[in-house]
Amino acid sequence: MLSLALGIAAAGVAIGLGLIGYSGLQGMSRQPEAIGKLQTAMLIALAFVELVFLLTVFIAPASFGGK
Amino acid sequence: MADLNLYQSLVASAEGGGHHGPNFLGLMVYILLVVGVMFGLMASAKKGLNSRFFTRPITQKFEQLYLFIENLCIGIIGSHGARYIPMIMTFWLVIFISNLVALFFPTSPTADLSFNLGLALISIAYVQYEGMRANGFVGHWRHFAGPKLGPALIIINIMLFGIELVSEMMKNLSLSLRLYGNIDGGHRAADAMTQLSSDYYIPLGAFLLPIKLLTCVVQALIFSLLTCVYISLVTHHDEGHADDQHGSDELAAAH
Repeated sequence: MLSLALGIAAAGVAIGLGLIGYSGLQGMSRQPEAIGKLQTAMLIALAFVELVFLLTVFIAPASFGGK
Repeated sequence: MADLNLYQSLVASAEGGGHHGPNFLGLMVYILLVVGVMFGLMASAKKGLNSRFFTRPITQKFEQLYLFIENLCIGIIGSHGARYIPMIMTFWLVIFISNLVALFFPTSPTADLSFNLGLALISIAYVQYEGMRANGFVGHWRHFAGPKLGPALIIINIMLFGIELVSEMMKNLSLSLRLYGNIDGGHRAADAMTQLSSDYYIPLGAFLLPIKLLTCVVQALIFSLLTCVYISLVTHHDEGHADDQHGSDELAAAH
């Protein structure tokens, strides 16, 4: 059960990361002079999406009792 | 569904049965190693400072690093961001070198939750201190209570104050957990891949090292970047309003 929960969380986070990379690359190619700003905002968004999975890793064992 | 006890889960994963990192003394040895490498590098870079242009390669690298951190601070915090460069650069160097240690040694300080929590506490305490210095003690704490709504809606201000306080506390948790999870997760993934192929004597985990190197740089960058964003959120100044406002609004939306 725990591995299923972690798998679902990983899938969602992977979709989120893919969307960030997709839109970031698109924005950068459309407007190369804004690459610096876009990269900063992209990295911040990336960090917050990643945190969701890390929180899942820490909270899921507690709520499933380690099974 | 057992009780959802975050604290116990955190403590268990940091110190409990599955603990695989160094003990307190071992962590100190690793921190000593990191500090030694850092001071050695910087002392070596300082030797090349006297010439008109920098001929030593390591001095040039440090100059590039300084310019990078300066861009980060000025770009995010605004025109008054230059005074935060030493703190941000220290964070970047400590975290980056600690992460690099993990590529050569069994573990690293940043793969330990306690070290990361210490770093995050320093970072957030510094942000509060700077906020109080920029806006005054009362101004900084009133900033948490949201806009003035009048005496009838004071209950909303009180609730906002509580929520903002919890959010400040959670910044510690998120900063430390992000770093710990990324670095320690990288170790565990490398260990698992090496164990998978141990029957054939192929160290598959070694192929993860380039990705781990990328993680090292990105995590050090993200920690410094988020510290910058937190500083920029609490040190609003009226000067440079026109061009500064847009950037910090965008970052606040991402935050």
